[in-house]
Amino acid sequence: MSVENKVEDFSTPIGVHVRNLSVVYETNQGQIPAVNHVDLDIAAGEITGIIGESGSGKSTLAMALMNSVSKPGRITNGSVIVDGIGDMLKISNERQRRVRGKQIGFVFQAAQNSLNPLSRIGHQVLDLGRSHQVGDLRSLLRHARDLLIRLGMDADRVLMSYQHELSGGMRQRVGIMFALVLDARVVILDESTTALDMLSQASVLEIVRELHQERGLTIVLITHDMGVVADLADRIVVMYGGELAEEGPTEDLLRQPQHPYTRGLIRAIPRISGNPDEAIALNGSPPDLQTFAQSGCLFYDRCPDRIAECQAGRPIYKEISDGKKVACYKVDRRD
Amino acid sequence: MALPASKLDPPVNQLVVSKSNPSFWTSSWRIIVKKPGRVIGFIIILLYIFMGLFGPMLYPKQLPIDPNAIYAPISWKYPLGTDFEGTSNLALVITGARYVLFAAFMAAIFTVVFGTVLGLVSGYFLGFSDSVIMRITDFILTIPSFPLLVVLSTVWNFGQPVAMGFVLGITGWGGLARAVRSQTLSLRERGFIEAARSLGLSPMHILMREILPNVGSYIAMNLLLTITGSIYAEVGLFFLGVVPFQVNNWGVMLNLAVFSAGAMSSAQALPYLLSPMLALLILTLGIVLFLDAVDEMFNPRLKEV
Amino acid sequence: MIEVENLTKVYSSKSGIFERQSVRAVRGISFHIPAGGAVSFIGESGCGKTTVGRILAGLESASEGVIRIGGQDVSRVSSKERQALFRTVQLIHQDPYQALNPARSVGQSLLDPLKVMAKTKRVGDSWIRDRANEVLTMVGLDPNSVIHKYPHMLSGGQRQRIVIARALTVEPHVLVADEAVSMIDVSLRLGVLRLLRNLREKLNIALLFITHDVAAARYVGRDGEVHVIYRGLILEKGETDDVIQHPQHPYTQALLSAVPVLKGLEIPGPDRYIPLKEMETREDVETGCLFVSRCPFARDICREKSPLLTGEGHEMACHFAQVRNVVAMPVVAD
Repeated sequence: MSVENKVEDFSTPIGVHVRNLSVVYETNQGQIPAVNHVDLDIAAGEITGIIGESGSGKSTLAMALMNSVSKPGRITNGSVIVDGIGDMLKISNERQRRVRGKQIGFVFQAAQNSLNPLSRIGHQVLDLGRSHQVGDLRSLLRHARDLLIRLGMDADRVLMSYQHELSGGMRQRVGIMFALVLDARVVILDESTTALDMLSQASVLEIVRELHQERGLTIVLITHDMGVVADLADRIVVMYGGELAEEGPTEDLLRQPQHPYTRGLIRAIPRISGNPDEAIALNGSPPDLQTFAQSGCLFYDRCPDRIAECQAGRPIYKEISDGKKVACYKVDRRD
Repeated sequence: MALPASKLDPPVNQLVVSKSNPSFWTSSWRIIVKKPGRVIGFIIILLYIFMGLFGPMLYPKQLPIDPNAIYAPISWKYPLGTDFEGTSNLALVITGARYVLFAAFMAAIFTVVFGTVLGLVSGYFLGFSDSVIMRITDFILTIPSFPLLVVLSTVWNFGQPVAMGFVLGITGWGGLARAVRSQTLSLRERGFIEAARSLGLSPMHILMREILPNVGSYIAMNLLLTITGSIYAEVGLFFLGVVPFQVNNWGVMLNLAVFSAGAMSSAQALPYLLSPMLALLILTLGIVLFLDAVDEMFNPRLKEV
Repeated sequence: MIEVENLTKVYSSKSGIFERQSVRAVRGISFHIPAGGAVSFIGESGCGKTTVGRILAGLESASEGVIRIGGQDVSRVSSKERQALFRTVQLIHQDPYQALNPARSVGQSLLDPLKVMAKTKRVGDSWIRDRANEVLTMVGLDPNSVIHKYPHMLSGGQRQRIVIARALTVEPHVLVADEAVSMIDVSLRLGVLRLLRNLREKLNIALLFITHDVAAARYVGRDGEVHVIYRGLILEKGETDDVIQHPQHPYTQALLSAVPVLKGLEIPGPDRYIPLKEMETREDVETGCLFVSRCPFARDICREKSPLLTGEGHEMACHFAQVRNVVAMPVVAD
């Protein structure tokens, strides 16, 4: 069901480069480092999956990519360089606003409704166009319509609907339409399929996969579900307690996970084939305030392979082979 | 039926040690001292409570008059000046606090009790009781309470603050009942109420133990706000002079200052007019400052780990 | 333990002064769960599976059908007895944060139902305390560290364990777990699933597991049955692994296709098929197969005639039932 889109320049995908990024949350109990000195390259034209539990700082990182961390969070350090645009943290506010939506699209979690409940979807497309100074609103609306059809929906009905008239899966597709209607080159999906059931999730992911291939988008997929990234991403980044634990090409990482946390996450997925008893639950609970205070490896308390060294200090996140990075003393020692 | 628990959390078969949470008072104290504004509000409220309880005991039953110091200006001897008889305005404010505060407190209690109970019952049980209670509530809400008070005061003796409080309360609970009902309506759909029902807990238990704590902060805030509202209402009544002056209070002071002493035109009676106003102002300020802490005190979600 | 025959639920709502709209949420389904057994209902959101769970837990009443709990027909007993019967069926909500009173500590939430139990059992306070500790230990929590905490101080997994512990206080015979792990971090889900499985084995509690996640259903109820439900109707049912390995209904196949494939560890099944259309909820298509608008194999007969459940042991309602290979296969280790 291919639909003719107007010809756009899909030639050069945009990459994002995060350098030494730190975000803290100011609370009564002191500062919580939600993102702690993170270095990350989001390769142009690839699907990068960022996986972490609640409290891993993955959503904060996503917001920081657009420099829209909300209070009481604050970016304290670092840079986010978007190809062809510059440092998101340094350019003017007006420029940032234009970049968001125009170059970088964001799809929110289905639960937090990012759509205005009081106006029709079509109106919201026009509002978006106006705030980005789109001259030809009619063609923008046509473009939105084509996208909605592309996403497998009854476009005319959807454009005339209010958000409450749409199901969760449909709302999520509308969210993707909004992220793409201004031809964003980078799309960030923050837990976009978490609240959906399996079938809606699979169809939304399928659509993301197809759009990625058609348009050469750079996609950042943020989730707590290893299955989602394992199915879709080209590259997986594992976050734990605001720091990166491991990253690598998807197949490599799944076949030979180096960090015990990654291993635990993969093992904790119940499967529909094979022996279900092979699935092993991950120990302990997600990082909390006390975790951040410790000087050693953040994963120490839950780690099945911990050694004495792990308590001494944070392991260094470094490249172990081409394209694979990991922060673990045990891995260091093996070399 | 001992069950080996999962490996990650080794079974601990001990009695529950009473390492309970800090008591309500301890945690409330901690919440109050967190911000200076709350402390100020708290002190002001304490001061007024003290004034209401012991104020009249500090002075002789008949306040001393001083014919040489009629409408005396503010001085060390008369920190708020004096009235038309040369009685200290400060003494008048202090001794006059009891009636005003007690009546307002009673009004707030009546409002909160009626409003909460009726709101909870109609919101939880719905059906017939809901229809009946809500029609009564609508009726109460449509009564303009101030004119009613004016009318009632002609037939009713408001010498007793309880009577005054009762009338203020009986006309004022409508809004609270509606608000509590709507909160109850949304709470009753929540999973934990359904769970309580399917666990076989009684409706009484569900209302008092499950729902009430969740509307607690709202009710407590309403209690304080009703106190200020009632104070204004009764002071207003006395000021208008529709209630016979049986006891000294702030409303009587205002009335006399404006209508007898001519404080609106003569500057010398100004302290007499301003001192009860100041008393009202400070109390309102104290309550507003303290409200900030109330939400946190009654809202467990805001309690610290 | 629990038997259900021809369960039907019709919601009617006023859409105007004279008009009434009715929605058929459950369209006559039958099943039974033996003591300690497991039946999983699998389907999308809005397919009526939650309604089934709520009816069984006594939170809603059925429009039609017979429910027998422990052999007793709930419609033929006094309301007091009915309450007691439904108390043996406890619902585990999807969202543990909603299911726990935010204003009450874990201890308070557990003690209330225990006090009711203690009254009927004529036992004292020490029994209550021991039992509170016992149920908390049973769900894998340390009583000392959680009993004074409020729900907001716990993680999602811990909260769901508390909800399960609270359900255990009334010594239920059946647990209805309605999407019990879908709100929990994936990394913690397995722990809760294993707990449910343990409860079946150790306490002989029957489990009605309602989910959209086939893998979770398989984990807790591999020895039980799977019922695939679509718009209130069972489309396919049978033993768990039989349905998963040999799915015959296109809808079951779509659900199984939706399970993410772990790249590098698995290869997708050759017939993997994900329908991009959303479920039709409008009532105007009533004749023929309910799945017809999303079915890739639909032919004319599917629009005209409703298929009936057929088969022995493994039943399906499809005119063109056929085993297709949609489940991802593990890559042979190299």
